[in-house]
Amino acid sequence: MGPVEIDLRAINRGTVTAPAGCGKTQLIAHALAGHRGSKPILVLTHTNAGVAALRGRLDRAGVPTSAYRLSTIDGWAIRLISVFPGRSAHNPEILQLAAPARDYPAIRDAAWRLLQAGHISEVLKASYAHLIVDEYQDCSVPQHHIVYFLSLILPTCVLGDPMQAIFGFRGNTLVDWNQQVCAHFPVVGELTTPWRWRNAGAEALGQWLLEARGVLAAGQSVDLRSGPPKHVTWMQALPPNDHAQRLAAARAVPPTADARVLIIADSRNRAAQQNFASQIPGASTVEAVDLRDLIAFANGFDERSFDALGQLLALAQSVMTNLGVPEFTRRLGSLQRGTARNPPSVAESCALAFAQSPSLSGAAELLSALRAQPNVRVYRPAILYGVLKALRDASSGTVSLAEAARRVREENRLLGRPLPKRAVGSTLLLKGLEAEVVVLMNTEGMSAQHLYVAMTRGSMKLVVCSANPTVG
Amino acid sequence: MARIRKIEIANFRGIQRLAWCPAPGINCLIGPGDSGKSSVLDAIDLCLGARRNVQFSDADFFGLDITSPISITLTLGGLDDAMRTLESYGAFLRAFDATTGAVEDEPSVDAEVVLCLNLTVASDLEPSWTLVSERAAQQGIVKTLAWKDRVALAPTRIGAFANFNLGWQRGSVLNRVSEERADASAALVKAARDARSAFGDQAEQQLGEALGIVTDTAQELGVNIGAKAKALLDSHSVSFGGGTISLHNESGIPLRGLGVGSTRLLVAGLQRQAAGKASIVLSDELEYGLEPHRIARFLGSLGAKEDAAPLQVFLTTHSPVALRELSGGQLFVLRHSPQGHEACLVGAGNGIQSTIRLYPEAFLAGSVVVCEGASEIGLLRGLDLFSLDQGGVSLAALGVALIDCGGGDPDRPYARAAAFQTLGYRVMVLRDDDKKPTPAIEQAFVESGGAIVAYRAGRALEDELFGSLTPDACKKLITYANELHGDLIIEHLRTASNNTLTFQQVWDEIQNTGALAAERRAILGQAARIRKAGWFKSISWMEDVARTIVAPDLPHCNPGFRALMDQVFGWAANGPR
Repeated sequence: MGPVEIDLRAINRGTVTAPAGCGKTQLIAHALAGHRGSKPILVLTHTNAGVAALRGRLDRAGVPTSAYRLSTIDGWAIRLISVFPGRSAHNPEILQLAAPARDYPAIRDAAWRLLQAGHISEVLKASYAHLIVDEYQDCSVPQHHIVYFLSLILPTCVLGDPMQAIFGFRGNTLVDWNQQVCAHFPVVGELTTPWRWRNAGAEALGQWLLEARGVLAAGQSVDLRSGPPKHVTWMQALPPNDHAQRLAAARAVPPTADARVLIIADSRNRAAQQNFASQIPGASTVEAVDLRDLIAFANGFDERSFDALGQLLALAQSVMTNLGVPEFTRRLGSLQRGTARNPPSVAESCALAFAQSPSLSGAAELLSALRAQPNVRVYRPAILYGVLKALRDASSGTVSLAEAARRVREENRLLGRPLPKRAVGSTLLLKGLEAEVVVLMNTEGMSAQHLYVAMTRGSMKLVVCSANPTVG
Repeated sequence: MARIRKIEIANFRGIQRLAWCPAPGINCLIGPGDSGKSSVLDAIDLCLGARRNVQFSDADFFGLDITSPISITLTLGGLDDAMRTLESYGAFLRAFDATTGAVEDEPSVDAEVVLCLNLTVASDLEPSWTLVSERAAQQGIVKTLAWKDRVALAPTRIGAFANFNLGWQRGSVLNRVSEERADASAALVKAARDARSAFGDQAEQQLGEALGIVTDTAQELGVNIGAKAKALLDSHSVSFGGGTISLHNESGIPLRGLGVGSTRLLVAGLQRQAAGKASIVLSDELEYGLEPHRIARFLGSLGAKEDAAPLQVFLTTHSPVALRELSGGQLFVLRHSPQGHEACLVGAGNGIQSTIRLYPEAFLAGSVVVCEGASEIGLLRGLDLFSLDQGGVSLAALGVALIDCGGGDPDRPYARAAAFQTLGYRVMVLRDDDKKPTPAIEQAFVESGGAIVAYRAGRALEDELFGSLTPDACKKLITYANELHGDLIIEHLRTASNNTLTFQQVWDEIQNTGALAAERRAILGQAARIRKAGWFKSISWMEDVARTIVAPDLPHCNPGFRALMDQVFGWAANGPR
């Protein structure tokens, strides 16, 4: 990448506004790489995935690990209060995280109160040279309090973009950008070079997105026809053919052989996302890190119950296409009665064996055999492979299936997720991920922020399905 | 710069228990012998020194009781930032309140961040160093100082053999003065090769016979050594170990050859240069090998005269010269108390600083006699010298020091005495009775264990002497005064007696009756102590009088006066040695 516009280490207390794809991570890497001195810079962000992504970038940039400490805000808060339990005076049980919805808020409150009291200010000054907080728009109010009190102790620079604030749900009120963030951390700079698109040879798209960001931020609509035609495609989707039109849009051909396509569907409708994935050739879903369907299956599955086979087939149907479950079930019936004319297929043998003597390993074999059938396509690989791994881990009998599934989930959380070549998800799931092509399946009901996040996921091409050419 | 804020010792050698908050600069421990001063220095060295192996024996346990573990805890403040980070020792960072000396388990907004390092030795004699915090113990976290931090904190010991520090050995102060290191290994290897070739075949000529035998024997037995055996310099014997680089003077003489004192002085100076890196210094018997003027330079180079102490120094001394160079804020008296050991700050109150300057010996003794004035000092010294002549034991040998209050306010001796009392010394006040002290003050002194010897009703020393000694001795007193002051004393007698008494009359009375009446004795006493012209009012005059006149007369004189003197010397003889 090119020259760095702003020196984060020179900022004593301030905000750098960082629109998507404008080299924010590079800016952080540059600041850390240039850091000399015995104390590391503390870098905080929001999610484990964010930590993993940033660490990867820093490693690739050759930033020495001694130059920084990288953590999530919550992870750092947990560490802080557990080192000073007496001053923090929290209930020790909250650190067990048995009830995350209750414990995380308690941890955040304990942490900012501990910082506010001033007992450990000297320790923090001795520990870190500077504080950098990434993705600041995703801060909840208590997290902002933590950073606020830290900024009274350490020189602090926060980076973020109010136009990418999409994580405010019920019970997770985000910090108010103007009232709270900019009031305490004055804006000292804004990134203006669309590096992501420039590097992809699509600078016109990048510039247009920066303009669109301004339009959206002002509460106005963006006319998709004003975009550079080479990079921006509007496809009208009108009932009653809108579903077919959207599916056609989702088949957008990537510009190069190994380019990836992100397909963004309705955030609030998981079923619609999965439905699209099953109907779009080569597509698979991006799953939320809680892998809810994996956990639900593992909690509910009992290989000895009478409908264990039915549960397995239902799961298989929810993650693979072209299984032909009704026909498969009919064949099993006739095979069991001895009336079938054709011998059983591999998958059918596995199902019969499982019905005969149910076991977790048998269940795993059945799922593998189903997947191996011709024409079958996995469209929710994260769930299927998670279930398979949990079944195999639990088959030795040392852990329960439910526990094995939880471990798989935690492992995935830490390792992050490989992005499929044609991935179906939502703004919430795909934020922070990027591909060459992005397809917005439905702009209805999307806020300006959701729209901006979605539109900026593709570095070469943007395809939007909507009823009107103006969106937002 | 690192400082020891608190020292806690349990069951180590002669110390069952000690808790002491030392000063950030000079800490000179004084006190009677065997009070444990050196053990305190050893405890610091063992706990904080960068040694991997320390040998302990049963004798290191208090009372040889190995069931009570040795425990030494140092609370360390003034830490470098790197030692008080969340990551390094987060769960062990504590707070130290300088005003109360209390350690809190977690940092506090208005207290210093400290680490507590503990050394424990149990009956297996294995030392274990750990950082201490209650919360870490609860969470089962065990950690000790990283080796690099121990090296950084390690105190420098300026011992009797300080010349260890004059080479670049590991742990030498030279390694702390700068980061430079010489690499001699290549040069040494080359030197070894050169030596081998220079020595060459010389050995062969000297050892020809033996070589011939070896060659023949080997050939007989079919051991292949070539045509003949050779004798060369063994390359192993010309290899050098590490630490081979040391300081030399201009003519190439090793500085190791300097005298003990010069070496210690130089090392102290170097330590001062290295203060930024290692800021704690230990020196037992600081005066060792040093002439008096060099004691002052030694202490000066350790920062004794500076307001912002560059080093934290732990010293012991038995030298009055050293004491005179220090202030009350730098001196601590270490002694036994019912609760174990205690280290009391001498401090600067109650005119103690001038006492340190004038009577440093007093702080090195076990018992102190506070004398109202110079006459009392002279009296006791003279009696003491006489007793010494007779083969007795001197006051000094009994560990008794005398200090002079210089007369004046009758309460003054008690102020001075109280200062010594609070430091744990045995104290006696010897005073005259012509001006009486405040009863309550005297009472408090006695209740704190003080002893008082006062002349009898209303008398000053001269009254006691002329009132108590035999007439013969009284004559000698007058003769001595006459030698000192000539006819002046005639005037004094005339004034004191309102022209009613002459020396001739005194002489006649003694000649004729062999006695001296009480009225005449009283007048003589008054004459001898006329203001500003006392016949014996100097330490040396009174010392001479006491030695030559009073002491020989004591067995024959008034028993009341004899009892007073016996009281003083009896008390002196009963002190702890």
